[in-house]
Amino acid sequence: LQPKSDIIASARPTTRRRTAQARQSLWLLNDEDDDDSTTYHTDDDEPEPIDADEIFDLIRFISDPEHRSMTLEQLAVVSAPQVTVAPSHILVEFTPTVPHCGMSTLIGLSIRVRLLRALPTRFKVDIRVKPGSHQSEHAVNKQLNDKERVAAALENPALVDVLETCLENVGRRGL
Amino acid sequence: MDIDFSQKILLVSELVGHDDRAWHVSWNPVKPLLATCSTDKSVRLYAYTTDPSPIFALHTSIPTGHSKTVRGIAWSPSGYSLATASFDANIGIWQREEGDDEAEGEWECVSILEGHETECKSVAWSASGIYLASCSRDKTVWVWEAHPDADFECMGVLMEHSQDVKCVAWHPIEEILASASYDDTIKLYLDDPSEDWFCFATLTGHASTVWSLAWAPNGRYLASASDDRTIRIWKRIAEHQWECVLVLEGHDRTVYSVTWGIGKSGETEKGGEPLGWIASTGSDGRINVWALEEPRDSTVRSPPKFTLIARLEDAHGATTKGYEHLIATVGDDGIAKVWKLVST
Repeated sequence: LQPKSDIIASARPTTRRRTAQARQSLWLLNDEDDDDSTTYHTDDDEPEPIDADEIFDLIRFISDPEHRSMTLEQLAVVSAPQVTVAPSHILVEFTPTVPHCGMSTLIGLSIRVRLLRALPTRFKVDIRVKPGSHQSEHAVNKQLNDKERVAAALENPALVDVLETCLENVGRRGL
Repeated sequence: MDIDFSQKILLVSELVGHDDRAWHVSWNPVKPLLATCSTDKSVRLYAYTTDPSPIFALHTSIPTGHSKTVRGIAWSPSGYSLATASFDANIGIWQREEGDDEAEGEWECVSILEGHETECKSVAWSASGIYLASCSRDKTVWVWEAHPDADFECMGVLMEHSQDVKCVAWHPIEEILASASYDDTIKLYLDDPSEDWFCFATLTGHASTVWSLAWAPNGRYLASASDDRTIRIWKRIAEHQWECVLVLEGHDRTVYSVTWGIGKSGETEKGGEPLGWIASTGSDGRINVWALEEPRDSTVRSPPKFTLIARLEDAHGATTKGYEHLIATVGDDGIAKVWKLVST
């Protein structure tokens, strides 16, 4: 085995296609409701700037796990002012409906999954409950921001089923 | 911020192939093989040559049969066996079949270790190769003894942590086991003469989840990486006592992985006894490399001197293993990258 060159590198386009395929392979369904305005995957190297309103648009129509006909926006769980955007970093604060809300982790997870699917991978996303809004604030935040726990949760079919139900209408346009 | 680094981190090889996030990478201690594992449930083995410079090529892809993510991999000290840790709660033990010649044997699963109740996060072999440790979100650490014919006997189920255990790592010389947890602590374990494994020390100090551990090659120090964005260096101040002597900052987000290698021989940065190089990376996509040395006037509790010798931004992911001057990293993009450090 005679080495002929020092560096083996993969061509960029292949890498990006594989990444897109990889993202789809994680999920049971393709996110068919995504329309063009929520596509941030560009073909060139220029990163698209993004603002808080665009992030809010992505998450406002997530259904509440307990009150399925209500959206997180309608329940004031998420709002545009609670989204903070920096060049590659996004912070989403959400307000659980009641301080002992047992669904908080699920709501946080649905926000995370929605953003994971809709945003380019360069964005680091932090999700937290609004300070003071939950009894177990620290515990909920810790789980939602533990990459490994989130990944394992997404390999739990029962949990994914519930998440998919909450995410069914996310691509819906405003009235 | 302008820092003059004494080393540059250069990309040597980019290994595309996993269909999903790659979680861990491990160098075979004896043979020229690099293993990676992934959410795609496979393990990929890359063979490499280093003369005159490193070239990597896919040797084989093992569809492990785990039903969920393969999260961790560990080579036995002999280089002969590979253990896989999976979110399906099981551990797989893999060996290569004897073929007509070295190149022909298939990798086969010779044993499945069951017992954990939830996701298995990490596996590690003791320096002697006699013990295998595993840990899980079920809060336990298991110690298994390896018998001939891939027969593994459970020697202890340690239930000392109050939360998810992220990583296990054995001392490079003695049979001391360390575990790192979501409960923000590190625990150290020994095998008691009456044949029970027990926890003899709990190291507190990190403000959040401890993700990764790396023992210094000389066995006198332990490095830990945490969600609190720091790396702590713990020093052995007595036979069964370890104390934090240094906190390294240098990451903007969670530090997922730390590794401690020999580094390059040669003069030390500050004139002390070389302790090796620590490489770390995490959520911020940055690789940091520090050179550590034991000061000449060191005392029991004195910290090592440290110098940040290299930094690379946007590497992509989680690092492991310093192999002389090569570092391998894997990331959410499913890609494995091999880097070399070159003097500037």
